Amino acid sequence: MRIRSVLMALGLIATVVILMGIAEAKEIKYGTMHPLTGAYSVLGRDQQRATEMAVEEWNAKGGVLGNKIVWVSRDDQLNGAVALRRAKELVDEEKCDFIGGTLSGSISIAINEFACKNKVPYVAYCMSDMVLGTDQCQYGSAFMVIPYSAALAVSKYAFDNLGKKWYSLTADYRWGQSLLEGWIWQSEQMGGKFLGNVYAPLGATDFSTYYAKILAANPDFLVMNNLGADQTAAIKQAAELGLTKKMKIVCTKTAMHTIKEVGPAYDENIMGGMTFYWKLGEKYATSKKFSDNFMKKYGQPSEQDGESGYVATNVLFMAMEKAGTVTDKEKIMNAMEGLKYQLTKGPEYVRACDRQRVQSYLLLKGKGNKAKDWDLADIMAEIPGESILMSCEDNAKKLPFINIKLPK
Amino acid sequence: MFFDVPWNVVVLQLFFGLALGSIFVLLASGLSIIYGLLDVVNFAHGTFAMLGAYAVFLAVSLSGSFGVGILSAVVIVGLVGGLTEYLLLKPLYGKDPLLPLLLTFGLSIAIPDLIKIIFGLIGKPVNYPQAFSGATILGPLILPNYRLFIIFFTLAIMISLWLFLKKSDLGMILRASTRDSGMVQILGVNVSRIWTIGFAIGIGLAALGGAISAPMMAATPDMGVDMTMVAFVVTVVGGLGSLGGAIVGGLFIGVVVAITSFIAGEYATVSMYFCMAIILLIRPRGLFGEIGRE
Repeated sequence: MRIRSVLMALGLIATVVILMGIAEAKEIKYGTMHPLTGAYSVLGRDQQRATEMAVEEWNAKGGVLGNKIVWVSRDDQLNGAVALRRAKELVDEEKCDFIGGTLSGSISIAINEFACKNKVPYVAYCMSDMVLGTDQCQYGSAFMVIPYSAALAVSKYAFDNLGKKWYSLTADYRWGQSLLEGWIWQSEQMGGKFLGNVYAPLGATDFSTYYAKILAANPDFLVMNNLGADQTAAIKQAAELGLTKKMKIVCTKTAMHTIKEVGPAYDENIMGGMTFYWKLGEKYATSKKFSDNFMKKYGQPSEQDGESGYVATNVLFMAMEKAGTVTDKEKIMNAMEGLKYQLTKGPEYVRACDRQRVQSYLLLKGKGNKAKDWDLADIMAEIPGESILMSCEDNAKKLPFINIKLPK
Repeated sequence: MFFDVPWNVVVLQLFFGLALGSIFVLLASGLSIIYGLLDVVNFAHGTFAMLGAYAVFLAVSLSGSFGVGILSAVVIVGLVGGLTEYLLLKPLYGKDPLLPLLLTFGLSIAIPDLIKIIFGLIGKPVNYPQAFSGATILGPLILPNYRLFIIFFTLAIMISLWLFLKKSDLGMILRASTRDSGMVQILGVNVSRIWTIGFAIGIGLAALGGAISAPMMAATPDMGVDMTMVAFVVTVVGGLGSLGGAIVGGLFIGVVVAITSFIAGEYATVSMYFCMAIILLIRPRGLFGEIGRE
């Protein structure tokens, strides 16, 4: 009788414990935005895939602190107004507790502002200025480099190795101008000779009309501060006019799909910057593991944009584990500060003062006719993250670039 | 020197403008023929140009010949155009004029998505043809051979088109149908077939524009959007439905864009729309348009 009573009590306690466990188990709702339609959909899809892979990996090992992750994604069409609508949908209708994504720096700033007002943690996947000055906010964190970091990384290599006289071709919008600021500043520090710049409107298709000026100036190298279809057309036409035989071309940021679209014209005279390239797997086991898994799942290696999303998603969940909570957002963001990890490259961390991922920047050289499948370029240098990131005080208050006068 | 700019640079800039304008001429003349003949505002015009770029990519990949690529682009995409008119547009004639416009707008969204499914999201590179690589040196001028090819090729196409429209029976029927299709019908000509042929020719010209542009950029699913815009601007400047207008308008806009690129690059695209606005204010029917077609 006594044993029976004890067993009954134990059963009751067990039931209560199980029920409490069920009541406490919470779904973590994570919503992301990517440009899934339009000219940059190739990169948006990559971000989406990498996020999916990260979420699946976490769920396969039981979720975060025993809580399953539910992930939803939306097409932001690379349009600020649409992205804001999607962010509101994710938070208000889908009840997402955390948001991430976007491919455009200016959109990320708008989403960051929205996230801060609504106290929703946001992890940005793209190059962004959102951690600078008054845009800094407790709920925002950025997982690709700040635009100026890319410019500093590539320009340092160029002035050390390619010569001092340079000319630039810049896409006429904020991102391109941020890169140009970085280049001009570095040029002043390293004794470079800036011969001039031409601004090309976003979406320009004929660049030959800009090249007469550049040919006449005869620089050691031409800097391209553009992306995507603009960069593809600019490089192809530079090769057609023989520019690549007369000077090196340095793209502050490039992408695998751009190299593929350019084809053999992307040869050893063309260099480009990236935060991630699958050949980093020859140096880091983590890079190889990430690239192999991505390749196995999707049939092609991840672009840097996907890798950034993969790291952002992972770090968000790692911060939850470190904080020991999936609900206390302040605690989670605090846990992200200074968080160290090694996921896809060498050892990295999120800087405590501004929640900026500190990561290296790669400089690649094209392979021209020797390119095959996804073996499109060789890594020439990996520039350490700390060397291309300004101090916390500078980022918050007084970046040296603010005194740079951009050419008209 | 011309305003402190060496003469050879100025001439080179004009040359680039003419080459760019030649592509505009091909795009706009196709649009103009379609509008002149069918009164259809073809929002999918650039989309068919994009198909031309993909056709040249495919044909060059298979045959290795750029000439075969160009020919394939015109024939295949022209046939696709003819089929589109026959199967999709024809049932809409005589109904609300908005319907063909909506149909072509829908095609401009659906076809690129189809291309993305077939070829993937990443664009396809088309190399410059070996025969036109390098440059021709004329004194202080270094003229890229491919741009020379574009100019002379467009010139040859436009002369052929002019001869076809002026001298051949079919060309005369096409012109007559543009003027008064009802009368042509009464005279016993199957006007419906003429419309299909006219549409196919217009689309073939768009495909040519896309095909010769392909080596300069890459064949990408979304490249048609800008091409449609350019074709419309040139057609409005030259005059809706006017082939001569498309030629003059195309070259004019090409040169304006080239000069603006040199002086203030960031305004290169805007300059095109600025020209269109000015022309519309001064002469609403365009440079060569007929009264009543503005």
